[in-house]
Parts: sequence; C-alpha cells; structure tokens
Amino acid sequence: MKRAPLWIAILTAFTAASHAAAERLDDLSLEDLVKTEITSVSRKSQSAMDIPAAAFVITAEDIRRSGAQALPDVLRMAPGIEVAQIDNGRYAVTARGFNGRFANKLQVLVDGRSLYHPMFAGVLWELDPIPLEDIERIEIIRGAGAVMWGANAVNGVINIISKPARSQHGGAISLSAGSKGAGNLYARIGQAVSDSTSWKLSVQGRHIDPSPQFNQSTDSVDRLNNAVVDFRLDHAIGDGRDLSIWANASRSKITELWNTNPTFSPTGGLALSALTPLQELHSESLVARYRWLSDSGIESSIQASGTSSGIDITRFIAESRTTVDLDYQARYTFERHDILWGLSHRSSSDEISTNEPYIAIASSSYTQSNTGLFVHDDWTLIPERLKLGAGVRADMTSRNGTNYSNNATLLWTPSRTDSAWFKFASAPRTSSRGERDISILAGAAVVQPPFNIPLITYVNANQNLGPEHAKGIELGYRKQFSSTLSADVNAYSYRYTNLRSGSQSDQFACNAMLAGFGFPLNDAKCGAFGVTGVPVMFVETQTINGLSGRSDGIELSSDWLVVSNWRLQLSYSWSRLVMDGSSNPSVNADAEITQRSGPRHYGSLRSQWNITTSQQFDLWLRASGGFDRQNLIDTTPSATGAPTFTHVPGYLTADLRYAYRVNKDLELALIGRNLINRHRLEYVSDFIPTAATALTPSWLISSRWSF
Amino acid sequence: MTLGIVTRLARRLAFLAAALVAATTPAFAEVSTEPQLKAAYLINFLKYVEWPETGTTITLCLFGRNSLGPYLAAHEGRQIGGRELRIRKVSSVEQLADCQELFIPDTEATHFAAIMRWVDKQPILTVSDAAMFLREGGTIALVRSDGGLRFDVNAEALDHAGLRASPLMIRLARQVTGAPR
Repeated sequence: MKRAPLWIAILTAFTAASHAAAERLDDLSLEDLVKTEITSVSRKSQSAMDIPAAAFVITAEDIRRSGAQALPDVLRMAPGIEVAQIDNGRYAVTARGFNGRFANKLQVLVDGRSLYHPMFAGVLWELDPIPLEDIERIEIIRGAGAVMWGANAVNGVINIISKPARSQHGGAISLSAGSKGAGNLYARIGQAVSDSTSWKLSVQGRHIDPSPQFNQSTDSVDRLNNAVVDFRLDHAIGDGRDLSIWANASRSKITELWNTNPTFSPTGGLALSALTPLQELHSESLVARYRWLSDSGIESSIQASGTSSGIDITRFIAESRTTVDLDYQARYTFERHDILWGLSHRSSSDEISTNEPYIAIASSSYTQSNTGLFVHDDWTLIPERLKLGAGVRADMTSRNGTNYSNNATLLWTPSRTDSAWFKFASAPRTSSRGERDISILAGAAVVQPPFNIPLITYVNANQNLGPEHAKGIELGYRKQFSSTLSADVNAYSYRYTNLRSGSQSDQFACNAMLAGFGFPLNDAKCGAFGVTGVPVMFVETQTINGLSGRSDGIELSSDWLVVSNWRLQLSYSWSRLVMDGSSNPSVNADAEITQRSGPRHYGSLRSQWNITTSQQFDLWLRASGGFDRQNLIDTTPSATGAPTFTHVPGYLTADLRYAYRVNKDLELALIGRNLINRHRLEYVSDFIPTAATALTPSWLISSRWSF
Repeated sequence: MTLGIVTRLARRLAFLAAALVAATTPAFAEVSTEPQLKAAYLINFLKYVEWPETGTTITLCLFGRNSLGPYLAAHEGRQIGGRELRIRKVSSVEQLADCQELFIPDTEATHFAAIMRWVDKQPILTVSDAAMFLREGGTIALVRSDGGLRFDVNAEALDHAGLRASPLMIRLARQVTGAPR
C-alpha cells in the first residue's frame, strides 16, 4: 500500500502525456501529416494483443540494433528464452528450462523449414541458417505449441521469417571486423524482374579466432569459419495465388577441444590429454511454396522442401542425411469461426558411421518418418470480447507410434487496451535417432580413494525409448497503458512425464584386484577399449523414460517509449524446475542434474536512443542468475562417485552500439559486446565434454552500404 | 523504520518520474511514433473521402492481429463530418458488411487476396501499411518515405469501389496509380 502513490503518479503522468499527444496529432490535417517526421525509435513490435499465448516478436531493427552477429545472441532479448554460449560457434538455447547443448524441447523454423535435427533432437547453432540481415522478424511463442507446429514444439517455437524478395531490391554490402580476429562479410543483390516477380541472392561469411579457455592460460581451438548463401524468388500469380522458392546452402567449420584422451596408471588415477577433432557441417535445401485462394474463400498453402545435410566430426562420427518435407495448410473463416487445418509428412534418411566402441550406432542407415494431421478453430463467442480456441493434432511416427496433442484457449479483451488469456496445451517429444540408436562413452570419475579407481560411464541405446510428454496451463495479461507504454505478463505451470534419463544396467571391472572386491570381470568389453588388466571400472547405463517433474515460471516484458527518440525494452523471467524423486538412484541423480541446470532469474534491458536522425546509441544490459552444470569428467577422487558440478556464476553484462549514418546509403557502427566481465564462464558443455571457454569483452567496427 | 525509508524513497521517485514526464512532454508535439501517425491518417482519410450513401455512423474496421486499436480507442464516438465514428475489430470477411474504411496491417498480407475478392465493388476504403497493397487492388497504402509516413493512392480501385477522394487528398499523395481515363 505504501507504494501506491508512486504508481498513481506514474500512471497519471503517462495518461496525461498520451492524451496530449493524441490531441495534437488529432488536430493535424492531412497536409501536416505528410510532413510529420518519424524520428521515433523503430516501430513497435507487432502487437501480440490478440494471441492467447506467450508471444514475443523481434524485428529486423531490433536485430540490427542488438549488435549481435549470431542468431542465438539475438534471442537473448526474449523473455523465457535461455541462451548460453559454449564456444565461438556452439550455443545451448532453450525455452523455459531443460537447457542443454542439444536442448530438445524447442522447435525452430526458418520460413517453415525446420532446423530441429532428427539425429540430435536439437539445433546445431554453429551452422548459420540464414544471414541475420535477411530476417524480417522472429516470432517466439513460448509454451507447448505442438498442435500447430508439430511434435517437439514442447516448450516453445521460434519462427524465423525472412524478408520477401520485393523488399530486398538493389544491393547491399556489410563488412565488420573486430577483436578476436572476428570478421563478417555480407553481400546481397536483388531485382524486380517484373511487376509480379522479384528475386534476391545473398551471401554471408563469418570468421572468429579461438577463444581463451576458462581459467587456463592457453586458448581453445574453436576457430570458426561459416558461410551461407541464400536465394529467394517471389512470384505473384494474381487472384490470391503466389509462388515462392528458396534455395539455401550453408557450411560451418569449427574445431573443438576435448580433454578426454585417458592414460591409466597401474597405481590408480586418471590422466587426460587433449583431442582436437574438427567438426564440419553442411546443409543444402530447396523449398517451394504455393498459396492459393479458392472461390469458396478457403486460403490454402502447400510447401515442399528437400534438404541434404551432413556432419563430420573427425575420428568420431560422420553422418549424411536427406530430408523431404511436405506441408499443407488451409484456413477458412465463416460466421464466428476461424478454422485452420493441415497435413504434413516428413521423411528423413541417414547414413552414419562411428568410431566404435567410443561411439556406436545400432544400424548404420535408417529412414524415419512422421505424418501429422491437425485442426484448430478460433470461435468468437462474443464479438470483440471473448474468443474460444481449441485444436487437436495426431502425429504418426515410424518409431514412437501415434501421439496426440491438444490445446484450448480463452481470450478475453475487456477493452481495446487490455487482454487476458488462458491456455491449456499438451505436447509430445518424439525420441530422436541418436537417443534410440547411439551408445556412447559418456563420462569418467575417479572413486574409492586412496585406490583412486577410474570409473567410466557408458550409455547404451534403448531402441524402445518412448516419447516424452508435457502438459500444462498458462495465464497471461497484456495492457497498453498509453500509446507509449505497454506491458505483458504471464505465468505457467507444466507437468512433464516420461522424460529421458539413465538407469544403471551393469557394472564390471577390468582387473583381478577389483574383481576380488566382488565386481564381475568383463574381458570382452574391457578388451574392446584396450584396458584389460588395467584397474578400471565400468558402469553401464541405459536410457529410459524414467524422469518426471514440474516447471513453473513467470515472464514479463515491457516496452516504453520514454520520449520520442528513446525507447526502453525490459524483459524478465523467473523459472523453477522441480523434478520428482525416484527409487532408482540413476534417475534421482538425473533429477538433481536437471533441476540445477539453469538460472532461476534472467533479465534484459535494452535502450535504443536516436541522438539525431543520423546517430544512434544503443545499450543492452543482461543479467542472469547462476546455475550448476554436471562435470562429465572429473579426475578428482571422490568417495561416492555421485555427480559433481561446476557452478556457472550469475552475471551482469553490457553490449553497446553507436551508429552513424553518413548518408542515406552508408552507415558506420561501433559495437562492443560482453563489456562488463573480463573473463566469464557462461556454460559447461553436456553430452560432449568441450573444454570450457571464457567470454571476454569484444569490439567490432561495421559498415553497411546499400546501393 | 525501513517502511519510512521506503515511503520517502517512493515519494522522491514519484516526484522524479512526474518531473521527467513533464519535462519531456513537449517532444510529442514535434514528432510522432509510427502507429500514432498511422492512426491519425486513418481518421483523416474519413474526412477526405466521399461515400455513395451516408448514414448516421461511420465505421472504421481493423482487420486481424492489429496494433492500432489502442491508438484509435480515444477517437471512438467522435463526430466526423456529422457522423459518429465507430471502431470495430474484424477477423473474417463476413464481418465487413458495414465497414466504410478497412485497415489491414502488413502482418495480414496473406489475406489480402481473400479480402479484396470479398470487398470487390463495395464502397469500402481499404488501407494497409504494406507497400505492395495497391498491386493487390487496395485503395491506399501507407509507406515510409524520407523519414516520414506518406500514402499512395490507387485511383482505379477507388473508382471501382464507387468512392470519391477530394482533389486535395490526391494532390498530397506520394504516388497515384491507375488514374481513371
């Protein structure tokens, strides 16, 4: 109650200010309007007032003004999205918890083409899917979105929409260079062939020299070389019909440092030396979309795409893959209904070779397929006031059977400036090729001091691994306080079941001394690793659908145009995972690892200031709570062999951008990133024990010339 | 004790906030945000266009996911040319029957064709902030140009809809396409 006077003062002040503005504009005649200058900061991200879900939009201007050079860094501005950099190219990105190098509960699409990798169940962020300059906007919808976006859109979907070719006529060249040997070149050319046909072709190349290792004097080996070529052709046929064709090819090359090469000593303990495998990724895709309108008013679209891609990690794994997607969607509005329905089919064939026994695959080639069918209706119960939505989807998969997802929403708009929504949704996550077929050496610890016996963990594939399930409820409220201030707040609670975890299946020793303590010998398996007779113990685990738990959170975002040339955008998220305990000690350990794996608080404050029409100054403050990541390998002897953790401390950091527009075609910018901490750890890699790198302040000078 | 400090702090902050807003208010007179300007255009067009039939009300419809609603709310119920202004949100073509002006944001570009087919030959002034709208048969497109917001007019579409725009409006347009012969 004591704070009431402050809020009343602020609200009164805003209302007064906005009324003053409205009256003044109102008095303007058409003659005045055409002369009015917009020196305001960007346009408001498309209002999400009418969506009964937690939505956030990132515009092209937000991207440019963020100073970010890689897609995951852009996503840091959205509430509910966790982004952690692993090295120069690799990132862990998730929505609402469960972050990981292959975070598997987030669907990511570029113009409807999925980046979700069927092998790893996640996105390989080191491969640039599209130049940042070519992105028109990014729509982020948190929470289960499986009905419309398919299985695996469990915690959210990121929809990247590229600029139409007609808005990319002419040419542009953008060149950046900065500390850490960072270089970025982008070039584009586009043309209108006729009134109805336009095309554009763009290329982007990126390079970064290796990062420093965290808390080590030597650098890592994560030199990044990326290239992407993107072509788009749009043709309006007329009468509601249009055709778009995309062709895209990308390459990524980055070496990785693993301190995993073991040397066993007869007197116990474990010494590790470095391995530096080179990882090369490539992807080529061709997409065509045709949209048409029937005489009865049904809007339809059919999209077909083919992608050929490959992964090659030296002496570890090589994969080549061909994926074909077919997607049909239609929409029909009549009376008070707005019906959307669709049918999609995806087939993905691979050929994989691995370096056994460190990593082994059950079958070297496989084709997985998924057929989905959905229908959704938005039903206006009271015009302009109350809308009810409901949808259902069935996914027939080649290995996880048939899975259903559904949702129900209620959107209440008591006034033009307020809206409140409720959502219930469920989503399955189908298990990936890797999860079902790959067996892998997963970790190492040293136990039983003073004997210091190396304990190696090996995960065996489970070809019967089933789908994971999530369902939950969300509540949200949006308010436009005045023409210059809006806020959006939502809360959610989801329940997860059948989550993947490990379960110990076998334990054996490799020499007679340990066998004397009652552990069985397994000469065949020890021999495969060349450690027969060495004092080493193995623990084998198998993946099972054993983990369950709950996720709760609150997300907030606000947009305030303080004065016409200064905008502040705030986002904040609070999240908590509470996993269920289990009588199975391996599942219990996984519950603890999952629960501690992400930050509880995350916040971002962006300031965009147009000093003059030719100068911009932008500041971005980001803060995160700390969290703990499991050490995959720990050579410090421990009595129990229980998981050990590295604490990733919380941080506050700042990015800056100053841009000067020399003339209407040339812009120069100075960008500083991660300016507050001199040497910061942001993540500890899971699955693959990449040596931790440090984030350090970096500077970049960039020029952008359009013609 | 602590509570006292909080109260004092709150008062000081409130004063600061009020002072800040007071100090910055004059800026609004000179420049405008894009949505404010779009809203002002939509209102203004109603004054410069003549409809074949006149009633006691004039209805401005906003199609689909719309960001201008909050900027227009204050104008609802005003008198424009002796008619009372109504503002309605519409999401399907069947709700367009009594709209005099229809705004379709560029985010709804996929529905242009469906809407234009329905609107065909009806006295509805269609406006969008998508530059390609005129090619789809729309009557007015709001376009960013030289640091401001201007508008293009499709005279043929206007004629087709049976609407008459004042010569002043045509003169102020950035571009007039499909002038009727």
